[in-house]
Amino acid sequence: MAAKMALADVKVLDFMWVLAGPGITRSLADYGATVVRVEAVTRTDPVRTVGPFKDNQVTQEGSALWWNNNAGKYGITLDMAKPGARAVVHDLVRWADVVTDSFSPKAMKAWDLDYPQLRKIKPDIIMISSCLMGQTGPLARFAGFGNLAAALCGFYNLVGWPDRTPSGPFSAYTDYIAPRFGLAALMAALIHRKLTGEGQYIDQAQAESALQFLTVPIVDNAVNGSAYNPVANYDAMHAPHGVYPAAGDDRWVAIACRTDGQWRALCAAIAQPGLAQNPRFQTFAGRQADRAALDLAISEWSRHLDPHLIERTLQAVGVAAHTVQNTFDLAADSQLAHRDHFVEVSHGTLGKTSVENSRFKLSRTPARVTRGAPALGEYNQYVMGQLLGYSEDRVSELAVEGIFG
Amino acid sequence: MLSRCRVLDLSTERGFLCGQILGDLGADVIKVEPVGGAPARGIGPFVNDTPGPENAIGWRAFNRNKRGITLNLEHSEGRALLRRLAAAADVLIESENPGAMGARALDYLALRDLNPALVYVAITPFGQTGPKTGYVDSDLIVMAAGGVLILSGDEDRAPLRMSVPQAYLHASADAAGAALIAYYERLNSGAGQQVDVAAQESIGLAGQSTALAAMVNSDETRRMAGGAKMGPIRIPLVWQCKDGLVSCVFLFGAAIGVFSRRLIDHMFAQGACSQAMKDTDWIGYGAKLLSGEEPMANYERCKEVIAAFFMGHTKAELFEAARANNLLIAPIATIDDVRENPQFAAREYWRTVPHPSGASLTYPGPFARLSGKPITYRRCAPTVGEHNREVLGGELGLSSDALADLARKGII
Repeated sequence: MAAKMALADVKVLDFMWVLAGPGITRSLADYGATVVRVEAVTRTDPVRTVGPFKDNQVTQEGSALWWNNNAGKYGITLDMAKPGARAVVHDLVRWADVVTDSFSPKAMKAWDLDYPQLRKIKPDIIMISSCLMGQTGPLARFAGFGNLAAALCGFYNLVGWPDRTPSGPFSAYTDYIAPRFGLAALMAALIHRKLTGEGQYIDQAQAESALQFLTVPIVDNAVNGSAYNPVANYDAMHAPHGVYPAAGDDRWVAIACRTDGQWRALCAAIAQPGLAQNPRFQTFAGRQADRAALDLAISEWSRHLDPHLIERTLQAVGVAAHTVQNTFDLAADSQLAHRDHFVEVSHGTLGKTSVENSRFKLSRTPARVTRGAPALGEYNQYVMGQLLGYSEDRVSELAVEGIFG
Repeated sequence: MLSRCRVLDLSTERGFLCGQILGDLGADVIKVEPVGGAPARGIGPFVNDTPGPENAIGWRAFNRNKRGITLNLEHSEGRALLRRLAAAADVLIESENPGAMGARALDYLALRDLNPALVYVAITPFGQTGPKTGYVDSDLIVMAAGGVLILSGDEDRAPLRMSVPQAYLHASADAAGAALIAYYERLNSGAGQQVDVAAQESIGLAGQSTALAAMVNSDETRRMAGGAKMGPIRIPLVWQCKDGLVSCVFLFGAAIGVFSRRLIDHMFAQGACSQAMKDTDWIGYGAKLLSGEEPMANYERCKEVIAAFFMGHTKAELFEAARANNLLIAPIATIDDVRENPQFAAREYWRTVPHPSGASLTYPGPFARLSGKPITYRRCAPTVGEHNREVLGGELGLSSDALADLARKGII
């Protein structure tokens, strides 16, 4: 008999949507929490409208991004304008240990579901609100996606070529930082509640969480006045250090040398022993100063070779190297396969879907990712009947009132 | 909130943030450094651009709210002391390459025998086992392996990483949440376990599930300067305006198309676009582009109209319009701009932490605001061996003579 799941006793009423919030509740579900994910009937979760889409077909259930962020959750639909829906939510609050939302600050208050109200219903409730800029301040109501928080936090200017406009990070970068901090804060609150019986409120500004990842530039800028502008793939601790062309369409390999030994091993591997002998390149400072020449020499070698071959060749002699992996490489990656990174899970309307596993492993109470993301309203009956204990008649009445849309 | 939680933090710069998150949340975190100080103390940038063990900004950035001791784990007496500390700890964090802790008999299985309730967190590039577990790594290598590097940069040049290393921050932040899930479970079961975090998997989250594209038979997403190419659709996120750059989302579908409609309505009200553009169905536009019903050239022309509109306005004007009309536009900030953003000032976000030189350092403030026990920055990063006496003497009960003897032997 396997150990009980780590969060088997945690119940979550989840109003989070888009990416930064649902990333938190996906982790809770992975480790056994019962997560009831509420979707509005009137406003589609944007993530359902963003790919990658199964077979390139834009459909309500076909977004793999949706699957990946919502696997294991019990999805219900509610029309919050209906009085019956409010009563259901109050019962769910009584059922829950945690209530989450990631709307702009006015929404939960408009439904009388802000923390003071929730506390009246359930005094020891934990609530976490995650929004772009925080619940207070002049930009509290500035809503948007993680690309906008990434712009306001200074991430864009850190990715780019010195001779061009910054490229910026891929897509909604702060949406991939914030969930980690939200999870840690929420778990601390659950631990505190277990020890003391006290609930609490957590105001998470996604920008304020994300800026933790820029602590070094913030401190450096404040004390030294340092500017942080695009430097391509330059790194102060490694030379050569870069992304080099490999054989094939848009194929690349990343290579990084930190020590003299790695540098000599690289020279041997690329059959350029002369480079290793060259006094210009014998010290790290020399290699860093002349890195453009090194980049050229490595590229001349790498561009004719398969990136995976380069990776294996260089790793075998202790040089840090890796294929710059695309989606096809990831699907075939032996390490990810070893860690069961991709899992096939059941889905209410599609039969099977593929999602990524938990990104960390607990040895005794591992994640179990077995159910896919909910189809729209898939668990209305289950949540009303099994979790809230409503009679079939009651559920039918609610359906007739139109609370499920 | 985690005041009953004692954490031993053996991590290198790969894992500093994990212990700091736990320390911010109230845990008693003891940073264990090699004698003479952690190698990270030698990595710049430095306070006042002056190298020195207390000046390394990367060290100071991620070791606040920790006490610090030195311990030579290459020496059997040092390892014995570590075992005594681990016997009384709740969480241990390490970030050595797989096998290195085992060689010192300080791996999970060895310490579990001493302390079955220990939560043992290991942060590595690729995980504890598997074909790539012995790979040499760096931030860039992990970004490449995780499927994120390929997505950023300009399409006509090599992919680019973020110049401030990020991969291990993702892994360390994952590790903090994972440690607390295990710690929560321990409150029920009384038993600890090992937490195995692979940076390759952690950074993968930033690929926005494009990792699944091959598996679901979807178009590949590819990098593009200031945006991305999702299949045939070129989506810009960086736009030039009168005095700089803004980020703006101009996309389609039932949810995001609503914002695009608002943007076009706003432009129309300013006389900046045609009636035909205003009347376009932006909700269904993406599907029409994909089916070919709408020629891609029309989409490109619409983007040119928007680009021209942006060129007529400043960052501040566009941001103001975004706030007034609920549009998806924000200025692209430099680090200076970030520090001057009135939102952070209004929320009293920035924190000042003293530095031994007398200077005070400005830090990003708490990552979240918890009503139960707000995060405070109660300690700056420890000096080398600052708490040796307090922890090894006061708490482990070693006498002054014993401590002096350990120092003489190079163990502390």
